[in-house]
Amino acid sequence: MASGQKAARVGEEVWKTRVEKVNAELVTLTYGTIVAQLCTDYDYDYAQVNQQLDKMGYNIGMRLIEDFLAKSNIGRCGNFRDTAEMISKVGFKIFLNVTPTVTNWTADNKQFSLLFDENPLADFVELPDDGRAQDELWFSNILCGVLRGALEMVQMSIEARFVSDVLRGNDVTEMRVTLLRYIEDEMPPDDD
Amino acid sequence: MVVYSFYIFDRHAACIYKKTWLPSSFSSSVTPARPSSQPSQPYVNGGLQARAALSADNDAKLVFGTVFSLRTMVRKLGGEDDSFLSYRTSQYKLHYYETPTNIKFVMLTDTKSGSMRIALQQIYVNCYVEYVVKNPLSPVEHPGGLGVNNELFEASLEQFVVC
Amino acid sequence: MSYYFVIISPADTPLFELTFGTSKAGGDGVPRFRNGETARYMNQFIVHAALDVVEEVQWLSPNMWLKVIDNYAPTNSHISCFLTGTNVRFMLLHQPSAITTASAGSRSSTISSTSIPQNPTSPQTEEAIRQFMNEVFELWVKTLMNPFYTIGKPIKSPVFRQRVVGAGRKWL
Repeated sequence: MASGQKAARVGEEVWKTRVEKVNAELVTLTYGTIVAQLCTDYDYDYAQVNQQLDKMGYNIGMRLIEDFLAKSNIGRCGNFRDTAEMISKVGFKIFLNVTPTVTNWTADNKQFSLLFDENPLADFVELPDDGRAQDELWFSNILCGVLRGALEMVQMSIEARFVSDVLRGNDVTEMRVTLLRYIEDEMPPDDD
Repeated sequence: MVVYSFYIFDRHAACIYKKTWLPSSFSSSVTPARPSSQPSQPYVNGGLQARAALSADNDAKLVFGTVFSLRTMVRKLGGEDDSFLSYRTSQYKLHYYETPTNIKFVMLTDTKSGSMRIALQQIYVNCYVEYVVKNPLSPVEHPGGLGVNNELFEASLEQFVVC
Repeated sequence: MSYYFVIISPADTPLFELTFGTSKAGGDGVPRFRNGETARYMNQFIVHAALDVVEEVQWLSPNMWLKVIDNYAPTNSHISCFLTGTNVRFMLLHQPSAITTASAGSRSSTISSTSIPQNPTSPQTEEAIRQFMNEVFELWVKTLMNPFYTIGKPIKSPVFRQRVVGAGRKWL
């Protein structure tokens, strides 16, 4: 797919030349600490923790998209398939240096999966052994929020959620992304 | 090249930043035109004296109205991906740059200046993203310009325009 | 050879314990301590006593790997120690099985073989233990990096346990 190759090239280029690198363990530990702290703060109510992570990600995404656009200098995507390629090969590439596989498209081209072979956020992590975390906590849920926030800023309303995670003992880490609708431009408020 | 003014509009069509570099000698007392009806009239007829008389608030609305209509028109004629870069009157030139996140950068300069597209993009990349978006204390949205008018941003913008 | 491995926090509380037997030379990995049932608390006791020696020895060497630092003659137990930078101590008590030594308490009597299962003080054994310690150290660091692990609390991770067992099987 042409757009996929182009995206891969752009991602590689930006990653090499315009991204400041930071120690991976620092990121992993920082994120891990946030999640662990949320777990204690919310008294191990994992549904709440997931929601908070999503909310934090949403706020990050709304900013991150600007940095993404400034660095990559790419324009609007023609369709949702291109968007998916951009997310995987440019977005994840330049911010986390991973390229999740885009797959499992639905026929209407509005839903796809991202398969994460590696997840820098979850290195070293073992979920708490309380019998619930394995079923309730989505450790990397912040990523869902990031995508939601970022895409909202480029006029796409989406829903993103994890459906499996290697931390839970699943074979793959999979995120499902669904396009809900395109957001119309806002009109200026009427004066009089 | 002389820069007259500079505006940023966010995705909610609100003006979140404006700055004018007009010398104070331009002030006069012409009643402002109705912004919705004839956006560019004061520029054409009254020249710069007229535009200085506009209240700053009306000014921004006017510019946005112009840009918004032009953009809509351009897209109708040239397709969804088309956009306009600038237009020129006998008095000034308006430069326009829009990010995929629907933030609009508008700059008014004298008529002799060349394309400012790159410059506006640089302002977005090097000033706006760097000092507004990446400032953790600034809110994500900027109602009323909150968070945009910080010193670092102003200073870098000033430097950019002056050079 | 039978092994008792314990990780001890700077506050002298055990964080992780594991007993296992040799897997070398046809060993089945099951510990057979010669003091039988009493081994469960005797081993802890012996290792705890060895901590005093660690405290002396640790300042004499810049190394983390302190080799055999103590032994307990009545059960022919030898204690090796590996010290981390944060003063967490990995203690390994190793005890040759009863059948290979004619009389308990005398180290030198039957040490003819240099193989790891028989000889607790041979260079080969020492090297094997060093490798084991290094591997556990790596695993331990990874465990510390787990955000859900609290420093100073016992390590409950089944993954860690399983990997330490694996390291034991591999080297000892």
